[in-house]
Amino acid sequence: MEKTVKFEHNSSGKRIKSMLKVDFRRMFKSRLFYILIACSLLIPIVMTVMMTMMDGSVSVDPQTGKETVMQGPENTWQSIGTLPGGEAMGGMDVMSMCNINMAFMGIAVFVCLFISDEFRSGYAKNLFTVRVKKSDYVISKTLSGFICGALMLLAYLIGALLGGAVSGLSFELVGGLTAANIVMCILAKIFLMPVFVSVFTLISVAAKQKTWLAVCGSLGGGMLLFMTVSMITPLASTAINVLLCLGGGLLFAFGLGAISNIVLRKSSLV
Amino acid sequence: MNAIEIKNLSKNFGSKQAVCGLNMTVPMGSIYGFIGENGSGKSTTEKMICGLIPTSGGSIKLYGKDHSDIDVRAKVGVLIESPGCFPGLTVWDNMLLQAANLSIPNAEKEVIKILKMVRMEGAAGNKYKNCSLGMKQRVGIAMALLGNPTLLVLDEPLNGLDADGMRIMREVFNDIISDGKRSILVSSHLLGELQKVATLYGIIRHGKMICEMTAEELDASCRTYIALKAEKMSKSKMLLSSKYSRLEEDEAGYIHIYDKTTPEQIVEYLYQNAICVTEIKTDKIGLEEYYIDLMKEVK
Repeated sequence: MEKTVKFEHNSSGKRIKSMLKVDFRRMFKSRLFYILIACSLLIPIVMTVMMTMMDGSVSVDPQTGKETVMQGPENTWQSIGTLPGGEAMGGMDVMSMCNINMAFMGIAVFVCLFISDEFRSGYAKNLFTVRVKKSDYVISKTLSGFICGALMLLAYLIGALLGGAVSGLSFELVGGLTAANIVMCILAKIFLMPVFVSVFTLISVAAKQKTWLAVCGSLGGGMLLFMTVSMITPLASTAINVLLCLGGGLLFAFGLGAISNIVLRKSSLV
Repeated sequence: MNAIEIKNLSKNFGSKQAVCGLNMTVPMGSIYGFIGENGSGKSTTEKMICGLIPTSGGSIKLYGKDHSDIDVRAKVGVLIESPGCFPGLTVWDNMLLQAANLSIPNAEKEVIKILKMVRMEGAAGNKYKNCSLGMKQRVGIAMALLGNPTLLVLDEPLNGLDADGMRIMREVFNDIISDGKRSILVSSHLLGELQKVATLYGIIRHGKMICEMTAEELDASCRTYIALKAEKMSKSKMLLSSKYSRLEEDEAGYIHIYDKTTPEQIVEYLYQNAICVTEIKTDKIGLEEYYIDLMKEVK
């Protein structure tokens, strides 16, 4: 009698679930994740307190003798976005650069190190031996990156609120701003996260074990998109902004995810 | 049904042809010793079997299905180049990650069982980066064994193992194939060790399969020789070399005679020349000598 072997069939749902389980386990055990969350929480507190303390101080340019009066934040919500009628975000002042949108660059570091670690350690090799569908890998990495990014945004929001409270800044909603706008702004930023995560995932799977290439490429690519974040997700965001970000996020996640899938299928995985 | 069936496989890296027209068959329930020099295409072939690098041509079938079949590949255990562990995590955590990846029910129980099997249960709490080379190799084998794989592809699994580790591996390999359905493809430069476990051999050179043979066929192909020690060894050697054309002296001081003769004829010849033989035995060359001979012929 001929010997035969039967192979159990795993549905794609089951496969992705088990892969996500591994990624979440890794994410919550990784020191980098907690460092990024801690940074997201502490930066707005430190920045707000520091900028408030420096408010009104005068600095003199030693060459021109020109005096500049340092201006601190007037409102807690300035850490999240530009107040209605205020100067557009994306300027070069400290508050503009170190606001909540920093999470979009922080996630670049997380995604790049998360993926390149797998290729450098040889874990990816074990994974792809038993996981034929490369799309499972891309979906899992995009989802875990998205969750990490969303948690960073929420940590920054909490940090901004704490910073405002510690510095005694106003929580007043000025210029017709409502609580719903702030919720929409945060939601829009969260839904915009997959755009960045899918770009970083694509760069990382192409760079594989070359961490430096993945990080430099992602930060460079991220910078190009970074400036648009404050425009798409202003503090006075509405449902339209949320829908736009959701649409963009899904489009990028599926489109770039498909390209990442092709890159993995066509290239050497070791 | 064959565990692995490769037909006309080729792989090009730019203009360099790493594997060309390779045919290979690994029957179910066998331990296939995959032998070749460095750069002969062994690892490239193994990586193609595991889907880690795309093929340039030909076909690979695992258990009668294409090697890209999701269900078959889910039951392949692999150890190629490195064990694939995260250095900052403990052995235990690395094993649990792999178990979760393979959706193994009762993962902790299974991990304990496998770690015991490779004698690593005492080092489960060690960070992988702090493990010795031999321990890392055992962890790699343990990772490959998780999930009860139907096919194991092991690249140099015996490197860095001590004598006890090698014995354990022999026992593990024999356990795996005992049901006659599971198979192991193992490449190693430690041909003496490989000979103790392999039931089938494939010898590859410059990306081409030179020969495939069973352990019995190898045994039949291996030439016999007579090894002896005698009084006045240098004079004995001189006398024997004048009579026999293929003569060698090994590290232990034995003179090996590969010509067609009998121990009686040699003893008589030396006795006639006033030399007394102190030890004499007939033996067969091992896989290592066979391989070296074969490579000389091919060259």
